[in-house]
Amino acid sequence: MEHFRDPVKTDCEELLSRFQATESVRYEQFLEIWRDMNFSSIFYGKPEPSERRRFARLILSVVSPYFFPPYTFQIRVGGLFLLYGLFNSQLVTPREKIRISLKDWKDVMQFQRDAVNAQHYDVVYIFRKLLTDKAFYFTAMPIPLFYREKKEDGRKMKICEEFVDPSSRPQELVTTDMLEEIANIHEHYEGLKKSVFAEPDPNLDLIQKNLVPKLNGAILTYSSWQWNRTDSEQQDGGEGPSNQESSRRAQLLASIKSKSYGQAVEASKSRRHRQTQLVPAAEAEFSQKVTSKKKRKPSLKTRTQYLLNTQGNESEGLNVTRVWCMSAVKEEKAPEKRKKKFNWNPEKSSDPT
Amino acid sequence: MAEGSVLMHEEKQHENVPVYEFVNVNSSEFHIGTFRDLWLEVLNPEVYSHCTTAPEVEDVEFIEEMGIEPKTLEELKNICGADSLKSGHEDPDSLPSDPHLSTLKLRKRRQDYKETLTRDTLDRHEVYANELEMLSVGKKPESPGDLVPEGEMVLSFNIMYPVLFQRFKRVRAFQTVHVLGSQRLTELRDAICCVSDLQVFGEFSSTPDMVPQFISKDHYKSAFFFFNGTFFNDTRFPECRDISETTREWARSRGFPHFQTATMEDTSFYDLKMKVGFPYYYTHQGDCEHVVILTDVRLVHQDDCLDMKLYPLITHKHRVVTRKCSVCHLYISRWITSSDALAPTDPCLYCDQCFRMFHYDDEGNKLGDFLAYAYVDPGTFN
Repeated sequence: MEHFRDPVKTDCEELLSRFQATESVRYEQFLEIWRDMNFSSIFYGKPEPSERRRFARLILSVVSPYFFPPYTFQIRVGGLFLLYGLFNSQLVTPREKIRISLKDWKDVMQFQRDAVNAQHYDVVYIFRKLLTDKAFYFTAMPIPLFYREKKEDGRKMKICEEFVDPSSRPQELVTTDMLEEIANIHEHYEGLKKSVFAEPDPNLDLIQKNLVPKLNGAILTYSSWQWNRTDSEQQDGGEGPSNQESSRRAQLLASIKSKSYGQAVEASKSRRHRQTQLVPAAEAEFSQKVTSKKKRKPSLKTRTQYLLNTQGNESEGLNVTRVWCMSAVKEEKAPEKRKKKFNWNPEKSSDPT
Repeated sequence: MAEGSVLMHEEKQHENVPVYEFVNVNSSEFHIGTFRDLWLEVLNPEVYSHCTTAPEVEDVEFIEEMGIEPKTLEELKNICGADSLKSGHEDPDSLPSDPHLSTLKLRKRRQDYKETLTRDTLDRHEVYANELEMLSVGKKPESPGDLVPEGEMVLSFNIMYPVLFQRFKRVRAFQTVHVLGSQRLTELRDAICCVSDLQVFGEFSSTPDMVPQFISKDHYKSAFFFFNGTFFNDTRFPECRDISETTREWARSRGFPHFQTATMEDTSFYDLKMKVGFPYYYTHQGDCEHVVILTDVRLVHQDDCLDMKLYPLITHKHRVVTRKCSVCHLYISRWITSSDALAPTDPCLYCDQCFRMFHYDDEGNKLGDFLAYAYVDPGTFN
């Protein structure tokens, strides 16, 4: 079932990027795209035992993260609509539920408040409908955890960069309060210097005179460059949130991102001997990996054949009775059944897209 | 003082919100009872209740909250109704002939492959095993006193096979058990079925008819759970001893932090502090050890099994192939012999009839030299 994760993610991201391109948060737009892609057919197919249920669980868990920060408001609305669509078009009864963990519930409530304030009635209606349909499981963690320390192979959920607000770390670092404080300290410092030395000594000029205005100017230049750069692809973040609010939220997003990617989680004391290390971004977040031994022992059949073949080669001249195929006559050969194993990941060339 | 208590409350809130300790592997530690309280604080009781509010009531509430007119609501309902999502005439059992979605392409390939296989249908045992989960869904109890209360927590435990990497290459869940938060640890203990509980000791080659009726489960009743530095011992029966004593002594002598003990029957799951996804420990019979993982903690839902008497509920059980007698390959084996001159392998399994016919003559005298033990097949729990 894990093999379906990548195609599902591709499909969902395609739908969400098309929704993002419409630059609206209306449900009608979403419905158009849904119908155009015939997305409810994602559940179709010959029913295998419990496969439908497992698939429903998988797709709901893949789509859930799009409903939470750090994605933009529009993507979160798209995620909500997508969850609604999938929940209602799944084919199993009783229906599989959407998991929300406690740490994400606050974000959900904030999202609902934003939607109410912006008077996006369809968003609010759909969310309430999901609540009354009892579509949610209120859990501890977003997915059931089994302590699987698998090798990542880059299969971690990568956040699609287009769905997130552009980062604004400089703005977050240099805020108005911070500039005021620096200006204060600057004044104090200059005052102290003057009081100690009557004449200003050029050797003591260790800092820039106009530090604060320069900082301010740099940040403004950066942010205007950012806005100009993304102006052409800027999505409409909804009529609700004003610029100030979006920059505040952007700061919040940036802080969340930096927290999750910038710091390694400290291992608990019982695992002192294996502290985590901050590894550069391409690799996994923690260094405690169990190397999975994928070397498979050859099966009994192959081992027998190998043994008997070698024995046969040694005594070629003798009439060796072949123990394992006594019933088959030499002339008759069963048609060779090409029993290939199913290849989940075909080469790119053979898969016409 | 008030500020201090508010601050403590916030801290308590903060540390009991479970977050990932290692992403996608396990969570941090949190107190289950407090976690439940936190959820119940933030949720509207209607949201987790077992009954659904009438649609008219919902509509009125919506209109009042949002301050819109009923006409707008009607419009909304028309646009956002679930029927608009369906594509209409298609048959969900067959794939669309021209799939655009990559999921459907993959599924088509898989289905085409499956058709080339000669044997791809499951036998009925597998079908039943797969449906075990659905047996108890939505079951309501007969007496209302047994109804699971709203706001109860359901915990899912995965009990694994003994982790012996020499014998079993893959770590696999043997059983999945759902328990309610208000239940005691002893109930979880009783729900775990391990084949070593049924073993009968003793060598019976001379007296095949005198197999004693007691089993190990009755004999050795001690057991303990080990969660987060505390050993929970079973003290219900007078024969139970504190088998964690040896481990604790050993740990103390080696300088490990001091472990506490508690009793199983006095502790409910709400009192525990656990990590989700982290392996914990269950030992019984002195040395039969099982790894226990708490996979999921969530509020009980309307569609779950609502009969308290059915909990702890076994939702998944791994099916073991039963070993048949080496002679007839028909009956399930009940005897195992070793150092048997008459047997082709050592050790060798026999069903009852073959065993008697093979090893004893008509008068019941023992033929040949062998040692025989009673054998309990691991597939007894299927």
